[in-house]
Amino acid sequence: MFENPTQRRLGWLDVVLICVLLLGVAWIIYRVETRLVYNWNWGMIPGYFWFLDPITGQWRSNMLLQGLLTTIRMTIWASIIALIVGTLMAIARISPLPSVAWLARTYVELVRNLPPLVFIFIFFFFLSTPISNQLGLADWARALEGTQRSIVTFLFGPPNLFANFITGTICLALFEAAYVTEIIRAGIQNVGRGQWEASTALGLNRWRTLRLVILPQAIRRILPPLTGQMISLIKDSSIVSLISVQELTFTGQQISVATRRVFEVWLTVAALYFVLCFSLSIVSRRLEARFRRADR
Amino acid sequence: MFHRRSMIAAAIAGVMLGGVTAAVPAPVHAQENLIDSIVQRGVMRVGVGNFVPWVFRSKTGDIVGFEVDVATKLAEDMGVQVEFVPTVWDGMIPALLAGNFDVVISGMSITPQRNLRVNFTTPYASSGNMLAASVQRMPDRASLDDFNDRSVIIAAVRGSTAAAAVQAQLPRARLIQFDAEADVLQEVLNGNADALVASVPKPGRDAATFPDQLYIPVRETFRGTLEAFALRKGDADALNFFNNWILVNVANGFLEERWDYWFVGQDWADLVPE
Amino acid sequence: MARHNPFVHLAIYASVMALIVWGVYQGAVSTGYRWQWHRVPQYLFEWDDGTLYRGVLIDGLIVTLQISAAAFVLMLVFGLVTAILDGSPSFVGRAIARTYVEVIRNTPLLVQLYVIYFALSPVLGLDRMSAAILTLALFEGAYAAEIFRAGLQAVPRGQVEAAQALGLSRFHIYRHVVLPQAFRLTLPPLTGQTVSLIKDSSIVSVIAVFDLTTEGRNIISDTFLTFEIWFTVALLYLMLTVTLSFAVTGLEHRMQRTVAR
Repeated sequence: MFENPTQRRLGWLDVVLICVLLLGVAWIIYRVETRLVYNWNWGMIPGYFWFLDPITGQWRSNMLLQGLLTTIRMTIWASIIALIVGTLMAIARISPLPSVAWLARTYVELVRNLPPLVFIFIFFFFLSTPISNQLGLADWARALEGTQRSIVTFLFGPPNLFANFITGTICLALFEAAYVTEIIRAGIQNVGRGQWEASTALGLNRWRTLRLVILPQAIRRILPPLTGQMISLIKDSSIVSLISVQELTFTGQQISVATRRVFEVWLTVAALYFVLCFSLSIVSRRLEARFRRADR
Repeated sequence: MFHRRSMIAAAIAGVMLGGVTAAVPAPVHAQENLIDSIVQRGVMRVGVGNFVPWVFRSKTGDIVGFEVDVATKLAEDMGVQVEFVPTVWDGMIPALLAGNFDVVISGMSITPQRNLRVNFTTPYASSGNMLAASVQRMPDRASLDDFNDRSVIIAAVRGSTAAAAVQAQLPRARLIQFDAEADVLQEVLNGNADALVASVPKPGRDAATFPDQLYIPVRETFRGTLEAFALRKGDADALNFFNNWILVNVANGFLEERWDYWFVGQDWADLVPE
Repeated sequence: MARHNPFVHLAIYASVMALIVWGVYQGAVSTGYRWQWHRVPQYLFEWDDGTLYRGVLIDGLIVTLQISAAAFVLMLVFGLVTAILDGSPSFVGRAIARTYVEVIRNTPLLVQLYVIYFALSPVLGLDRMSAAILTLALFEGAYAAEIFRAGLQAVPRGQVEAAQALGLSRFHIYRHVVLPQAFRLTLPPLTGQTVSLIKDSSIVSVIAVFDLTTEGRNIISDTFLTFEIWFTVALLYLMLTVTLSFAVTGLEHRMQRTVAR
């Protein structure tokens, strides 16, 4: 804001900050050595990714890797659903029909103000479980065989937890969709009024105006915050462990209980989340930079 | 214009109405017959928590433990497969009530308060709990009564038999509950709680591992808590079946033999690393 | 025009909402859940010898308020310092600010709390409560930093240049020119962040701080009154967040009037 922010020479502020940082790190290391009662053992971690099965002599994936895969699967499905629901709700939010707009608004406000846990309980136990029991999802998945079984396993994880995975994913998606709604609505409303008026003057109806004129422009403003929301989704996905979906946080918890290696397990889990989220965050920044260039 | 818009609004309302109405199934549990439906399905779904050595994940990711042996034998005797559904403690009862699994076999202690909400079978286990105290915060105590005081902070796992035992026998102490046993141990090691309570023989082993931080003030165990299967209310047939299965397996020594294997012996130690 | 008749739309809205509530209720009935609401009030208030005592849930609500208030203040500090460092000419300052924001935003709060409470707090000598507040403030501060950064950037460059021309020092420029304008822009997103903070504060139940969520979970663990207690807890959280939203909306209106004058 004041000077050219790309300057590389070290100023007085840099020197002070470096000193503070070094002192802090040195102090923490000293205190870790003297105060923390803990025997470190990082050796057990790799075995929770892969291990050599002594019976079959083959490498098998273990809980951390399976948990990570479940988190990735759930993120992809939930993002797709959240995008669809969010777009529909955003269009409903700006609808000229008050009742439709109110309903969308109610949905957004409810989700944003309720603790996530409560939202999941209501949705999972009072709506989705009765429906999925009625449809017989769990029994259907359990009865699958051969190729069908492997396809379902690849897309949705272990068949015996299929029903939980599906409902957990939908639940997560509906939760995030409320935030997506607001992002898309803001994007649409940022496109100038003149565009709407010009399109109306050209004789386009509301739907075609949205599809052909408004959304293509809004998408530039929407995409960067949308990837940010996807990062939140990855992190929030740990709440569905409540309904037996065995994602990364859940498996991490199980390993830390079995091994009592709290720090090693949680630091590893944190690193895995960081890799997932940070790569998305880089994508987000690339997109932002590209759109900024395109705007010029 | 007006007509079309009203029709859209009406259509949306109609779709939502239809969706919600379709979503309401007929009450299924009113005349539930759990045993029949398990046998028909050929699979018994068992809700389990995560607590060494009751039920936990081995280093190859398999679900193992005392409960697993119990439920596997139970399913065998019924002639069905067993399917374990690992669930966090907070989700256990809602998932049971929603019909996500048939029975909870997860070291659940019987208390009257809980019994108002779910049915418990005859107890199939009675766990002994023991207290390990912090050397720094409460040295040289030799009686459990020393810990029954408002100023004492005792850590235990939320929902465990140990937490139930503390509430029953040390009602004046301040009980703080964590989600995992490793957290409970770390809490005392870090000097943030005066003592921990857990099922035997773990407190003794912890004290041996960290002799500078932990000691066992009282060798005797707490009065035992009683553990039972938890079922949805309203199915006397299922309750009768499970009760009698437990009675038979107490009489033939199966439950005791498995108990000794998991809670007294150490033959399973290589299921967890190091 | 009839389609703008508010009563028609009110009727449509009310009937759809009623249907959804009815559907959830029917879903609850179909699971065979027997409500036991009469067991709940004792956790809100205890009536003993003609005196009214607070129940444990209200105690928890107070702790939640305390944690949120303390974390809110710290969040502002962390956010502002980070935003200023991020916009500073110092290379190291920017690096610190970016690292902080990226690390916090790309890892789950739960994991941060575990690391800070079990690993760092014995090292730093923090108690349970301070560790909870510090973690929450660090987490929300990283988001607040982005909000402040956007707010600071939105203040036109000309303002700063004019202030510099007037011979104000950098501190005074921030204090009197930049921050007051940025504050107005950041108020709405900051409110959203504070609502998040109140909701996120429930995470401290994993380190046994006796906040609203912890008290609720402990009661559920003892009584299995899962839905009754969670709905009560949710209502208490809703009261907090909705009150906050209303208060800030009022504040915004007042500020807009001041600007208009």
